[in-house]
Amino acid sequence: MTAIDVAQRSVRRSGAFALGSLALMAAVYVRALAFTPPEATQGQAQKIFYIHAPSAWVAFLAFGIVGICSILYLALKEPRLDRLAASAAEVGVVFTTGVLITGPIWARPIWGWWWTWDARLTSTLFLWFIYFGYLVLRGAVQEPGQRARFAAVLGILGALLVPFIHVTVYLFRTLHPMPVVLNVNGPQLPPAMLTTLLFSFSAFTLFFATLLWQRYAQATLTEARAAAQAEADDRA
Amino acid sequence: MPSAVRGALIIASKDLLLEFRSRTAFLSSLAFTALVLAIFNFARDPTVTSAADLAPGILWITFCFAGLLGLNRAFALERENRTLEGLLLSPVSRSSIYLGKAFANLVFVGLVEAVALPLFALFFAVPVTPVLGPLLGVMALATVGFVAVGTLLSAIAVSTRFAELMLPVLMLPFLVPPITSAVQVTSRLFAGRPFSELAPWLKLLGGYDIVVVVTALLIFEFTLDE
Amino acid sequence: MPENGGYMIAAYLAVAVLYGGYALWLWKRGRP
Repeated sequence: MTAIDVAQRSVRRSGAFALGSLALMAAVYVRALAFTPPEATQGQAQKIFYIHAPSAWVAFLAFGIVGICSILYLALKEPRLDRLAASAAEVGVVFTTGVLITGPIWARPIWGWWWTWDARLTSTLFLWFIYFGYLVLRGAVQEPGQRARFAAVLGILGALLVPFIHVTVYLFRTLHPMPVVLNVNGPQLPPAMLTTLLFSFSAFTLFFATLLWQRYAQATLTEARAAAQAEADDRA
Repeated sequence: MPSAVRGALIIASKDLLLEFRSRTAFLSSLAFTALVLAIFNFARDPTVTSAADLAPGILWITFCFAGLLGLNRAFALERENRTLEGLLLSPVSRSSIYLGKAFANLVFVGLVEAVALPLFALFFAVPVTPVLGPLLGVMALATVGFVAVGTLLSAIAVSTRFAELMLPVLMLPFLVPPITSAVQVTSRLFAGRPFSELAPWLKLLGGYDIVVVVTALLIFEFTLDE
Repeated sequence: MPENGGYMIAAYLAVAVLYGGYALWLWKRGRP
């Protein structure tokens, strides 16, 4: 079997799994919307939490993968690591966008305005910009080796400095408390809500994993095709 | 003197010599900084907001712009003189190249800041002299962090088509810690707050500087072609 | 209980479009 055949099979298989996990996400929707009681003080809008928090988890998980792959790539120079980092960045920025959309929609009824510079949302905003820079940089460098090296340097810088950005934002925020319309730090989550949240976290993680696998498989296929083309050109 | 540092100083002095031979970039940077400071005077309703309230932020946003300009001018130098290619052929270590470039950037940006500070004090009637020592200290800390990250990212951005645009886009998220810390410290210095209020921000700034300098020293070589 | 179900619907809809859209786009990309 050629490299292209292997890659194609991986693309097909990962695609099937991804669609399957999409069905799991639909199940999360049904569970959260129809089978979970709303929270008394916050109302229905509180349910946004079930898709907001897992999105944030995935956004940062993806970035962690970018960071680790970046370090390993510089150490091992293995192109597969670069491909995985690039795939994680693309999928990661999608989920980061999700956090930045659900966050303000939740904030508006609960905190009174769409954007209140909440520490975690603000950190996520900068995470989005770092992802954006990473993807734009990858698009701006043509030579694959250089692209991989540059991206890895940026990925490492990002992974190391995101914690600093978060501490900065948090320190800044604790000095400037924002008025709160509704206090979200209420009683602990009752069992039904906790179950929904855990189910959602699991489904999101699986969904992310399958999307990442699919994206990576496609990148591998593209690479295999390009290599085959280059070889054919050389022989001609 | 260790050879890495000596190599760095040679590189830095070559870079600065090229720079100050024409002096255009430096003088233009000074003019730009002065203009930004002047325009900031009009960026408020004076009947509502006092200059003192905005002064720390104005100072550091101005320094940030000046710093970005200072890093950008290195691109033009690079393209014209292809200094990087020449350096790679010479027997200097990769760390020397980074240290040399960073030091040259530090001198350039530092000089611009040195001229901007008295102008700032003049324009916004800020009592800078009572806190000059600590203020220079925080300026040094923040500028070191800025230049450390900036020199590393410049080495990447210079190879892209829109380098002058790429650099700020890549760099600004990473400037949140040093700029925030610098403004918070500066503000409290001007207001005569006790050191305990400055300490957490200084610690953050110091920690940031250590991380970026060490990281840059370790991974700068990967921004250079083999 | 405050009446804010509209926000819930907006968020869930936006996420469905964003993640579902991306998933579908990616899946289509894999089968030329």
